[in-house]
Amino acid sequence: MRKNYGPIYVGPVAFWLCAFLSVPLLITLSYSFLAKGLYGGVEPHFSLAAYRSLFNTAVLKVLLNTIIIAVLSTALMVGLALPTAYYIARSSQKNLLLMLIIIPFWTNFLIRIYAWITILGSNGLLNSFLMGVGLTDGPIQFLYNRGAIILVIVYTTIPFAIFPLYSTIEKFDFSLIEAAMDLGASKTKALWKIMIPNIRSGITTAVLFTFIPTFGNFAVPKLVGGTSSWMLGNLIERELNITRNWPLASSMSVVLTFVTMLAVLFFMRSQNKKEL
Amino acid sequence: MSKPGKFSFGVFVFVTLFLHIPLAILVISSFNSSKSMRWEGFSLKWYHELFYNSGPLWHSFWNSIIVAISSSVVATVIGTLGAIGLCWYSFRMKKAIQTLTFFPVILPEIIIGVSILIFFNKIGLSLSLFTIFLAHVTFNIPFVLMTVMARLEEFDFSIVEAAYDLGATEIDMLLRVILPISMPGIIAGLLLAITLSLEDFVITFFVAGPGSSTLPLHIFSMIRFGVSPTINALSVVIIVGTALLALSSKNLYSSLLKR
Amino acid sequence: MRQTGAAFHQQRVDSVKSSQVTVENVSKSFGDFSALKNASLTIAKGGFYSMLGPSGCGKTTLLRIIGGFETPTEGDVCFDGVSILPLPPNKRQVNTIFQNYALFPHLTVFENVAFPLRLKKIAAAEIKRAVQENLELVRMETESKKYPSQLSGGQKQRVAIARALINQPRVLLLDEPLSALDAKLRQHMLLELDAIHDKVGITFIYVTHDQAEALSVSDQVCVLNKGEIQQIGSPAEIYESPANEFVARFIGETNYIHGTIAAVTDNEHALFDSPDYGNFTIYLDKKVQQGSKVALTVRPEKIRVAPEKPDNLPPDVNVLHGVVEDMIYTGFQTKYFIRVSKDKEPLIVFRQHVQYFMDEKPISWKDKVCLWWNTKDSFMVEVSK
Repeated sequence: MRKNYGPIYVGPVAFWLCAFLSVPLLITLSYSFLAKGLYGGVEPHFSLAAYRSLFNTAVLKVLLNTIIIAVLSTALMVGLALPTAYYIARSSQKNLLLMLIIIPFWTNFLIRIYAWITILGSNGLLNSFLMGVGLTDGPIQFLYNRGAIILVIVYTTIPFAIFPLYSTIEKFDFSLIEAAMDLGASKTKALWKIMIPNIRSGITTAVLFTFIPTFGNFAVPKLVGGTSSWMLGNLIERELNITRNWPLASSMSVVLTFVTMLAVLFFMRSQNKKEL
Repeated sequence: MSKPGKFSFGVFVFVTLFLHIPLAILVISSFNSSKSMRWEGFSLKWYHELFYNSGPLWHSFWNSIIVAISSSVVATVIGTLGAIGLCWYSFRMKKAIQTLTFFPVILPEIIIGVSILIFFNKIGLSLSLFTIFLAHVTFNIPFVLMTVMARLEEFDFSIVEAAYDLGATEIDMLLRVILPISMPGIIAGLLLAITLSLEDFVITFFVAGPGSSTLPLHIFSMIRFGVSPTINALSVVIIVGTALLALSSKNLYSSLLKR
Repeated sequence: MRQTGAAFHQQRVDSVKSSQVTVENVSKSFGDFSALKNASLTIAKGGFYSMLGPSGCGKTTLLRIIGGFETPTEGDVCFDGVSILPLPPNKRQVNTIFQNYALFPHLTVFENVAFPLRLKKIAAAEIKRAVQENLELVRMETESKKYPSQLSGGQKQRVAIARALINQPRVLLLDEPLSALDAKLRQHMLLELDAIHDKVGITFIYVTHDQAEALSVSDQVCVLNKGEIQQIGSPAEIYESPANEFVARFIGETNYIHGTIAAVTDNEHALFDSPDYGNFTIYLDKKVQQGSKVALTVRPEKIRVAPEKPDNLPPDVNVLHGVVEDMIYTGFQTKYFIRVSKDKEPLIVFRQHVQYFMDEKPISWKDKVCLWWNTKDSFMVEVSK
């Protein structure tokens, strides 16, 4: 019998992820239960102050805004991605059409955000056009609101909805649709009643892959959002780097992690059901 | 076979235009001689500005390259070994380690950024290019691991047993069997890690120290504080660069697979 | 043909380094599951030994224990009387042909076969000679530059054999080596394996769930079920006188007749009384006492069938009457299901079509027929008092 080398192979991964992932997450969790230090950091005694602060109206407002943005963007992305993925999967030029979706995705994330700033900014293309044709006198502020955040999130994240939907629709057996139509269903009805239930795993994956990065988004609201449209990520960054209330930043991170885990658990449950 | 209808075609066209038009506008305006969005004639001056007059940008670019290469090489070594262990061996705590490797993929980046910043602060490590390197290795490991594992899963464990049966030691097996067969996966994982590292903004934002700016951080500050059309030129260079890289790595990958 | 082959073979065996394998009281459990229970067997030097049984019977576990991929929970495995358990697989002078061949996909045919020699840092010229010789043995010398993905299933199999033999093992283990091939190729490869075995003269241990494979090439067959050895014997012994109901049912088709021994008439015969089939004489292949409950097995090809009872039947046959319930025509023979007793399964009878037009009177559905078999063709498989 030979030696089991498994632990030797896995040792480095286990060590690295424990040191630079598990331990940091546990420290963050413990910080959320400590009192805040005067100049950042924490005082080493137990306190629930950070969790009480979560119920400030200001924080709750940001949380509500985050939820609204996440739900609306996810719905928009999945709603647009479903017909798009369907069209690609049914086309005879699948690879070409997929490339059309992938190429913009290769561009740097920040530059994709920036592209919208050049369009919507006060000196941007849209305002130049509107002022050029004389529809307005001064520039209109299109940026720095909830709508701009949703637009840019959809722009940067929608491929995460298209890819999983595409791969499940591509595997779907379309003779079932023909069978349903043969039995008297209209095409729309057949797609709705037969295809949708059969690609459920793709839909839940698409929802998960868009909801999680949207809910924890930080860069998009930072660049195209205003103070009135802040998301949880912005609040965490402010508490960490500016206000320096680390317990509060930690407690909000814990909430964000918690929401993410809930979404993942929901996802795994729906995947398991499918296997039964 | 029934063809997709007008509705899905309409949505597909809309989404494709939606994805491409903003980038097309960027490309066009990079050749605009004016600083504003109004077209005032063709010019390459922003490219000139980018290549001859943007010292800090190039400094941060080289930082990005250093971090990307070092972190992805380390992540590839660690991730490849981990993939071999998780794919072909069983041992105590295997499930726990497997679950742990999913975390960096699932958790929002900001959580990793914040917690690793708090951790560095706790152990008294001051922020620098090195802390960026540590953070990048952390989030790159799972991606390499999954890519290599996907490749290894194409093979049956019996080829390991066969190698052992024929007289191979563990080292022989690693060097003569496992590494050669997983090479396409390892290279794909390495390229993926390099891309993710070059691309990362959020985690780097938290763990970067003064003077250790990377290209995405530099782009961020260009967008936030004083937009110059140089960034349009930079965007075009990046778009072309990634397209070339992606195409050549795809060719490299498929030629590796052919064997 | 096998007889003469065996004689030739015996001469080879003495000159080749081959080992006798003994398995002594080996048990293996995985957690609560006991995969192998107290198995003991002896495999002759240079023999072709099959381990036969349904999946999960423990045959692969036993093979993997001999190969060194599993450690037994109890017991010992010896080559020529010396325990090999302390040795790792690469020191055991035994090599394995894996079920899916396990060829290295990144190496050519030549390099696959050369792999063990390269590990030993043997000189290139010597490697070339040895690889060439082994590839010739399996008739693959012309394909040496191809990669495994370019080979057919049968070719992969041959390369796997050449590779396993290059270290000159004393014992070759074959784990369901033909299961990935289609039926026609399987028979062909089986003959080839037999030929290779004759040529190299080492001990082959062959694991399969296919009784036809095991019966056709082996000297000895060991039938396993649920981790226990059921019977060890020559293919003919296993088929013609199965030790118990499992062996009888697993190998070929058979009929069962339950009853009691009414009287022991002499040393070789007894009167058998079946509530469903009536009384008749049976041959005593085992010792029984009057009053024992017995199950008889009669193979379907041993039973003859005719529309009417022939006049000139010899005295030592048992005769039954029944009605054809169903029949399956398969070209060279017809399989009849003949109902003799209302409460029991119909008896299965094979009738070969030796001559198409000259065959005896045709038999069809619902026909009344007569069945008979020689008393020596039934065997007792379950005996209880």
